[in-house]
Amino acid sequence: MDILIEILIYGSIRSITLALMALGFALVYGTSRVPNFAHGALYIINGFIVWSFLRLLGLNYFFSILLAIIVIGVIGALIYQIILIRVRGIAISEIIASYAIGLAILEGLRWGGFKGMTYTLPTFIQGSIFIVGVPVDLHRIVVLICGAALIGFLWLFTHYTRIGLALRGMAQDERAALMLGIDSDRMAVVAMVFGSMLAGLAAVLLLPLGNIVVESGYNVLILAIAVCIVGGLGSWMGAVLAAFLIGFAQILTEVYLGTHFKTVVALLAIIITLILRPSGLFGRQKELEERV
Amino acid sequence: MEKRNIKMVLVFLMAIFLILPGQTAFAEKPIIIGAPLSTAFLYGWDAERGIKLAVEEINAAGGVNVGGKKRPFKVEVIDTRDLEPGVPVSEALLAVEKLILEKNADFILGGPIRSEAGLAAMDLLSKYKKISILTTGVLTPAYHARVAKDYDKYKYLFRITGEAKWIAGGEQIPALIEIGKKFNLNSVYIMIQDVAWARAFGGIFAKILAKKGWTVIGKPEIYPTGSTDFSMGLLKARREKAQVVIIAMDMPESSILLKQWYDMKVPALPFGSIIAAAEQPGFWKATEGKGEYTLANVINAGNAPSNATDWTMKFYNAYTKMWGIEPEGYGTSSSYMGVYVLKDAIESAGTLDSDSVAAALEKTDTMGVYGRIKFDPKSHQVIPSLDPNTGAVGSIFQWQAGKRVVVFPKSIAMGEIKLPPWMK
Repeated sequence: MDILIEILIYGSIRSITLALMALGFALVYGTSRVPNFAHGALYIINGFIVWSFLRLLGLNYFFSILLAIIVIGVIGALIYQIILIRVRGIAISEIIASYAIGLAILEGLRWGGFKGMTYTLPTFIQGSIFIVGVPVDLHRIVVLICGAALIGFLWLFTHYTRIGLALRGMAQDERAALMLGIDSDRMAVVAMVFGSMLAGLAAVLLLPLGNIVVESGYNVLILAIAVCIVGGLGSWMGAVLAAFLIGFAQILTEVYLGTHFKTVVALLAIIITLILRPSGLFGRQKELEERV
Repeated sequence: MEKRNIKMVLVFLMAIFLILPGQTAFAEKPIIIGAPLSTAFLYGWDAERGIKLAVEEINAAGGVNVGGKKRPFKVEVIDTRDLEPGVPVSEALLAVEKLILEKNADFILGGPIRSEAGLAAMDLLSKYKKISILTTGVLTPAYHARVAKDYDKYKYLFRITGEAKWIAGGEQIPALIEIGKKFNLNSVYIMIQDVAWARAFGGIFAKILAKKGWTVIGKPEIYPTGSTDFSMGLLKARREKAQVVIIAMDMPESSILLKQWYDMKVPALPFGSIIAAAEQPGFWKATEGKGEYTLANVINAGNAPSNATDWTMKFYNAYTKMWGIEPEGYGTSSSYMGVYVLKDAIESAGTLDSDSVAAALEKTDTMGVYGRIKFDPKSHQVIPSLDPNTGAVGSIFQWQAGKRVVVFPKSIAMGEIKLPPWMK
């Protein structure tokens, strides 16, 4: 019984963590069809931006977070406007360009001296509680609540706001959206800004649990891709459900098979999905009705 | 015309300014130390700093006497990236070869750091007959076992830092037994990283502790490099009533494990067989004090404050003064000593010839930063001990009120081991 409760609690936390990592990637791809391989780098650089505001400039923690999320949004917009817009529609070039940007950011950070284990962000709330006898620290509870709230907010945003509806329109059929007066390039920038901000938000929620290390950028990218492929590239609701699938599969693997198999779970999920259902669980590729 | 003359004079003066210091300080060609290190990681940059400190001290004292001529040391560092997840061993081998062929390194000192890369580099070093002194990383016992097994081939390879078999069996198990007796603990859970040295550590701990009558919970839990969540393992330790959690990880994410341990209030003492994150002085601030009571091993004395020998705190303070931070990881004092031992061997041999220097290194017997430094003549492994007067001593410290307090071995201990309040 104890194990079941542990699996339920920590499986939910792991799933929300994966969903947070993947949402930005899913949003950008779903709207603009640009696979943003710089996603992991944006996640990490936002951690360092918050750290710099907090530790070097001495700004208030929550003001630092707010400022950093705005900055990361601007960085995302610049990446799209300066580089990605030029290769949009050429799939392989989009991948190469965005991956190169990510690589430049991550290696640039390392070159700039951001290495080591001592770059950390404080947790929002200190302490821990026991849920049915299972200890959980309060920051993880915050992650759980914020993650769930963010998913709900995204649903409301894409269903009830003009920008959200425009993003959905573009995701469903870009040409039809153009005919209806939606500027696809502008919406792609908006998607990139939101995607980057989501990566940044995931970073500020998750990085206080550990430390900010450049290498994590690659891991975040791999996990985000795994979640999006399993969920169906472009379907953000699919991404959320895939995050729960992979999250719980990882936890069950850790408990019953061994922790060293947990990385295999995500990669195996990609392979199985590509073999059995190449469009992912909720992706409908060409006949997509709803990508965002 | 006038302007051109002024420019020429300036260029001439600058040339003299740039050339003169080198000529006045050392007329002889420098001895090049090639240092293949994973510089983005603690065990890379701490070794680099240790090497550079020793080189600076030696050069400032006049350099190395090679057959009557004073020659300075020059360090060429190359990033092997071997500690990074997913980087193939071949990258480290390329780095070593580049140091030998392009940088014309006379000696190799430092790494590669990852055991897999260190083992793979053995044949390369032997092919070029390069003296190599491992000063950081490569904890696998297989390294010196290979030297002993095929001495003629690998006689140029030395290791001046500890290896897993002694560290686990000679230092850490006795330390655990002592802790067990003192606090009545006898149940252990092992969490290790998925790398060769850690698997070796995990196996040794499980086997020996079981023989000593301890309860070893399950098999060692293996975590892939880069893991960021250790909750299920810690919950298992808690559920199965482990009293000590042995950790063998060199990845930065190991600090997450300790934060989770604190947040979950797992009633088991964290014993870092190797836990890179906890070694650094910045660990306390980085974990907001959640790392208190963590025990960490820094392999050699001098990497945490103690009075192992007269040289220990001299080195410690000189390092702190030069780099503005205390010695951080386990490769610091050994990398520093590696340069001094090499200097003595070169001076004793009177030449840079590999065979002569190797023979001189075998005769090394000096009181260093972490005790008496001698190499086993067959395996070229530094001879370890629990007493600094008879061999190289290690250091196990515990984080107590923001300080790294050496608690083992007894001969150099600066304080007593404490239990977290939720274990009392």
